[in-house]
This record gives sequence, C-alpha cells and structure tokens, in this order.
Amino acid sequence: MFGPLGLSLAPYIRSSRTLTRWVKPVANWYVNLSGYRKLGLRYDDLLVEEREDVQRALTRLTPRETYDRAFRFKRASHLSVNHVDLPKEEWLKPEEDVRYLKPHVQDVASEDSERAVWDQVQVERR
Amino acid sequence: MFRTSAARRASRLARSFATVLDTAGVKVAAVDNGEATSAVTFLVKAGSRYQNKPGVAHALQNFAFKSTSKRSALGTIRESELYGGVLSSSLSREHLAVTAEFLRGDEPFFVDVLSSFFTNAKFTRHELQEYVAPVCEAESTSSASNPASHAIELAHALAFRNGLGLPLYASAHSHISVEDVKQFASSVFTKDNVAVLGTGISQEALSKLVEQTLSSLGTSGSVSSSSSSYFGGETRVDSHEGPQTVFIGFGQAGAFSPELAVLNAHLSTEPSVKWSKGTSPLSANIPANSSVQTVLLPYSDASLFGLLVQGATTEDVKAAGKAAIAALKEAGSIKGEELQKAIAKAKFTAASAAEGRTGIVSALGPKVLSGSASTLENTLSAFDKVQTSAFSSATASLLKAKPTYVAVGDIKTLPYADELGL
Repeated sequence: MFGPLGLSLAPYIRSSRTLTRWVKPVANWYVNLSGYRKLGLRYDDLLVEEREDVQRALTRLTPRETYDRAFRFKRASHLSVNHVDLPKEEWLKPEEDVRYLKPHVQDVASEDSERAVWDQVQVERR
Repeated sequence: MFRTSAARRASRLARSFATVLDTAGVKVAAVDNGEATSAVTFLVKAGSRYQNKPGVAHALQNFAFKSTSKRSALGTIRESELYGGVLSSSLSREHLAVTAEFLRGDEPFFVDVLSSFFTNAKFTRHELQEYVAPVCEAESTSSASNPASHAIELAHALAFRNGLGLPLYASAHSHISVEDVKQFASSVFTKDNVAVLGTGISQEALSKLVEQTLSSLGTSGSVSSSSSSYFGGETRVDSHEGPQTVFIGFGQAGAFSPELAVLNAHLSTEPSVKWSKGTSPLSANIPANSSVQTVLLPYSDASLFGLLVQGATTEDVKAAGKAAIAALKEAGSIKGEELQKAIAKAKFTAASAAEGRTGIVSALGPKVLSGSASTLENTLSAFDKVQTSAFSSATASLLKAKPTYVAVGDIKTLPYADELGL
C-alpha cells in the first residue's frame, strides 16, 4: 500500500501550482538526502523486486535496459562496499532519473486485476 | 435422377456464395444454409510468400487475438468463452485466415473481435516474447521434426526459391521484432487485401457489421510478391527421427491446370474402399513396409505436384521410389476408361473439398479475394474438358522440367535422384 508502488499524492500535488511550488524544494531535498543518485542509481532501481508482478515486469525490459540496470547495481554495490560515493560529476542527474520500470509494473498489475475480475465474473442470462 | 439432383444442390451452394459484395472496399461473401452455428473468416493475402523477412507472417498469425486497444488478450479469450465461440488462425503460403465460430446471434461481438485485430492491434513486445515466440518456436520445431512436412518445406525452397519458397514457419533462430510485425501488418491489413467470408450468416448482416467495424482500415496496401517461377533441384538432409523419406516434386509456373489434378487422382494411393490397396498403378508395386503418397499443392500462380515416399528402411524407400517413378512415367499414356476414372475421382475430390465449412473457405475464399467468379461449376466443368492428348502432353511437360528431389533421413544410403530413374 505504501512505498514506491503504493498510493501517492504526487499527481494531486503536481496538479496544483501552489502546492508544487511549496513541495518541490522539499522533495528535491529529500531525494538528495536519500543519496541513491550519488551511487548512480535510478529511483526505479529501488523498487522492491521480490514480488511476482515486479519480477514479471523486469522480464519486459529491453535487453539494453536490463544490462544498464545490472551495471548500475554492480557499480552501486562496489561503491557501497568501499564506503565511497561517485565523484560529483558522475552523480545521476535529475533528468536521467527516468521511471523505466514503473509503467511495466503498472501494466502487470492491471493485467492481474483484470484476471481477478474475469475469474470472479457473474454471468447473467438475459 | 440422383445425379441431376446432386448437381443441382452443388450449383445452388456455389451460387449463394458467388454473391460477393463490395462493402466499403472490403469483399464480403456469405453462404447461409441454415446451420445452428455461424463462422466468419477474415482471409488476408498475408501468407509466407508476401513476407519481407522470414517468419514475420507466422508471428503475425500467432498475434491474432492478442491485446488490442479495445480488449486485452485475456479479455478476448474469456469473453468469447462466455459466448461459447471458437477462435482460430491459420497460415498458408498464400493466405492468413483468422476465424471465429460461434452460435447464431453472437455475430456483433465476434466480428468486432476479428476486426479489432485488423484495425487496432497493439503488437506489444512482451506479448511477442511471452506468448507469440514460444508458440512460433514450438510449431516450427514440430514441423521440422516431422520428416514429411520438413521435406515438403525444403522442396518449396528448392522449387520456387523466392516467394512461395520462403519458409512457412518462423524458425527458432529468426529474429523477429515487434517493429517487423507491425510494419508487415500495416502493409497487408488493407481493404483491397482482405476478404470476409461467412457461413451460416446472412450476407446483409455480415456486410453491415463489416462496414461498421472495418471502415478505418487503410485502402491500398504495399504488399507484393514476385510472380513464381519453377527451378527444381536436389537436397539431402540428415535426420534421425521418423521414417526414411524421399520427396520427388514436379513444379509448374502459371495457373493451376485440371490435368494436374487428374494426374494426382490417377496416381493417388488412397483406396476408395477400406482395407484395400486401391487400384492406383502405384500401389501394386511398392514394398510392404513403405508408402507412397501423392501431394498436390496448387497456388495462385504455380503448382507443385509430388510423390512422398516413406519407408522403414532405405532399401524399401529405394524400391518404392523406383516403382513410383515408373508409374509416373507411364501415367502420361493412359487412355479411355482409365482417364475417365481419374477424371471422375478428381471431380469428386474437388467437389467434396468445397463442401463443409473449412472447405468452402479454403476452396472458394481465394477466388473471392482475387475477384474471379467463385463457383464450383467452373471448377468442375474444367475437368470435363480434359482430353487424352492434353493430359499426356501436360504430363510430359511436367516430367521434362528439372525435378525437385529431397531426401530426409539416413542420407548415406537413401537413393539419389538418378538412382530412381529420373
């Protein structure tokens, strides 16, 4: 329910200009504080992948995306073991932080819910 | 008395199918014989001969009934299960046929299912990987592991090289991307390339539904295939599965000639009576552990006639092959009663093939699509015109061309073409 795949207030906040102006700096501050960009990771790399739907979404990435994801993980774990961050010019830039996995997870989730709907459908004879 | 009534019935069937209506650019034809179920087939000129990359047509065939912008793949299947319908797609070298069979009265839903594949299929990458590619691979593997179908596939490549010679199935190693399938689909799914055939549904109802659902289809496509020419050749493929197989094919460019069907009927080893060997000149001399089947594959601008020789051992195949070639060489000189017998058998085969649901679609559908008169009478009367001289000259010209020879099995001991007397 919570976490990166759960409920989110972001669409509501983004729809209001005032709220966006107020919340955006805080959000940016929080993202920088969480530090994943300093390890060269993207936000979608943090999604909990020990779930069936995310596993299925991962198979839908292009070979290039899968390779890049593995590379980022390898680099990040290497940096983590050495207790260092990337040099500042190699930090992930905000515009590179693309949600590459979320659309696939949402597709899988909607397929699963559709299957549940069809499994429990009540047929009426008219 | 009996013969005339049967003939009248056949002609009535043919007449009702011959009413081809041009509905918003799409050819629509329907026969309604009062069945309890209906079937609608969308026949497209999208067979393997039109593909720009080997295997694209096969991938497109298996993309049928996957997700469209109207409903998902699961939704299509579940909903048609609730209606009690059967959805199927089939691919030949010339045509792709997408069919729905259903109870009378459900046609709005099923015509919509079929036409949404043509107008707004999604062709997603994950469906290609998760559903389409595994099925393509399984089908091509099972076809390649059957020596008979493998031999005929190889024979097409030898006989026609391009066009009809292109592989029917996407092999495990053909790299088909979604973009390839999308591009092929957009080039073949056009109004002048699609014919809608219905059985057990009235022409007006079908036309109306087609007009509603297919109006957004593009008008003219860019699909083309070079006209076929016959080459022939010899190939030998090592195989350890199934019986020892030899296919001896003879091809012909140009329109299908009834003489070829008569020759096929004359040589066909299929007995008319159960548990008999049949009266074919082939069946008398072949060894017990082997079989010879005649294969006749007519296409729009070429045809391939062949003898498929199979046996448990290569010696049997060699003996059977020799007998088959000898019978084929003698077949050109048959006269009188024997020719009449063959003509009658060929006529019966043609008439009974156009009976039944799948027969109507496969026999008359291509004619509807090409816009020529689609009656059974034309086909049958062509057989009556077969004369002894025309038959023997047709057979002679068939044998004069370079044969297509394919051996599948133990290639060290399977005979070569010249060893069989070719």
